[in-house]
Amino acid sequence: MNENPEKTTHFGYKTVAETEKASMVADVFHSVATKYDVMNDLMSFGIHRLWKRQTIASSGIRKGHHVLDLAGGTGDLTAKFSQLVGDTGQVVLGDINSSMLKVGREKLHNLGLVGNIDYVQMNAEALPFPDNSFDLITIAFGLRNVTDQNKALRSMYRILKPGGRLLILEFSKPEQELLSKAYDFYSFNILPTMGKLVANDSESYQYLAESIRMHPDQETLKAMMNEAGFEQTTYQNLTGGIVALHRGFKY
Amino acid sequence: MALEENNKEQSAANSFFMLPSFVLSLIEQVLNQALKLDPSLVDKLKEVEHQRLLVEVRDWQQKIAITYANQQLHLYTAVEHADADCMISANINTLLALKNPAMLTQLIRQDKLDLQGDLNIAQRYSSAFSSLDIDWPEQLAKYVGDAPAQQLYLHLQSLQQQSKKAKSQLDSTLISLCQDELAITIHPLELVQFKQQNRALKSQVAAIEQRINALIKAL
Ligand SMILES: C[S@@+](CC[C@H](N)C(=O)[O-])C[C@H]1O[C@@H](n2cnc3c(N)ncnc32)[C@H](O)[C@@H]1O
Repeated sequence: MNENPEKTTHFGYKTVAETEKASMVADVFHSVATKYDVMNDLMSFGIHRLWKRQTIASSGIRKGHHVLDLAGGTGDLTAKFSQLVGDTGQVVLGDINSSMLKVGREKLHNLGLVGNIDYVQMNAEALPFPDNSFDLITIAFGLRNVTDQNKALRSMYRILKPGGRLLILEFSKPEQELLSKAYDFYSFNILPTMGKLVANDSESYQYLAESIRMHPDQETLKAMMNEAGFEQTTYQNLTGGIVALHRGFKY
Repeated sequence: MALEENNKEQSAANSFFMLPSFVLSLIEQVLNQALKLDPSLVDKLKEVEHQRLLVEVRDWQQKIAITYANQQLHLYTAVEHADADCMISANINTLLALKNPAMLTQLIRQDKLDLQGDLNIAQRYSSAFSSLDIDWPEQLAKYVGDAPAQQLYLHLQSLQQQSKKAKSQLDSTLISLCQDELAITIHPLELVQFKQQNRALKSQVAAIEQRINALIKAL
């Protein structure tokens, strides 16, 4: 992607930059909430939808299940879960950030999905539910933002029903050196630029790139899950390990 | 050798671009569009709402979980130990030839299709599918704008290969059927009819292949 500064001014991105700056808040997700879905598609070339489909495919979700879509943001997973659990089931869209929850609620309402979805503001480290409440917990691209991840994993374990499963979809470590290099270049150079052009927010996307690199790799996360009590823990690399889907059960 | 290389490249492309998921997501979209246009199917499928049908396409080594819920079909790749209310397993040519639900029992008797679980569920779904009249290449082409061109190109290519495979398998099935099985198990009239249906199917597959070719050229 060749950035042409003249073209940029010509298209008037700068003006947008000025007007939106005021609404920028310290919290990354307050600032990306409204552009979140567009950016997701752009940044991943739409592949995030397939990563999410794989998550649903691995979820074992059935009618009547109780599901927590943790750090659920704009509710992509919740939308599917809500349909698949039917009217006897229940989905909780949980997120720490009110702006993301608001965007999510509006989106799902517009899709006509009402009746079996609850929107609850919560911190993954201290989940506000009794023990043994859920058949399924998913956390997609959320765990890396959580400060104390071990505490969060223990909290998830506590509220899962025996037999229930946790799915963690998260950026991880590419399997191959070359892919890893290309990916680094992409996320530290191209990503923040896209973030700037589309969401007027290169810092948030710089943060994204950095937080991805800080996140534990496949084996480390698997060990953390076991540590928290999960059993039959496995993971599946998606797109060459750029993303991994971890799965664990509570018995 | 070249074929092996090809296979390797293909499986790398499969996992990197998640081709099976991608193809399924397109098929799901097309099916749901078609479903919207045919309200009678909604009634048909109502009875199997939330019932899960697992379809194993043996020669593609793919398992697909199909669920009808909230007036939509949900198609996902099935993972190991996926629980389902009914499971059918057959080669793609057998599945494509499933034009009416009555054929199910026939195919089971012929050992061409395995079924576990509730036969009624398989019958419902298959009768719904066979009454959908979908022009696949045209429908899939609608998504050209949506999807990265490269992905679609790969997708169409693999479809093309699959249709070729289906065609050659139809041929060999037909030959072996004629040679050993049919002569003892099926009435000659049925055989004639079966051959006719096969011929029609073969020309349909060829037509689809041609259209896919045209699409690939157009890209
Ligand atoms: C990248 S978004 C992912 C949203 C959605 N799951 C998806 O895949 O599109 C990360 C989300 O995690 C939320 N989040 C960050 N820290 C959290 C915490 N400690 N507890 C709950 N949610 C948190 C953010 O507010 C944000 O909505």
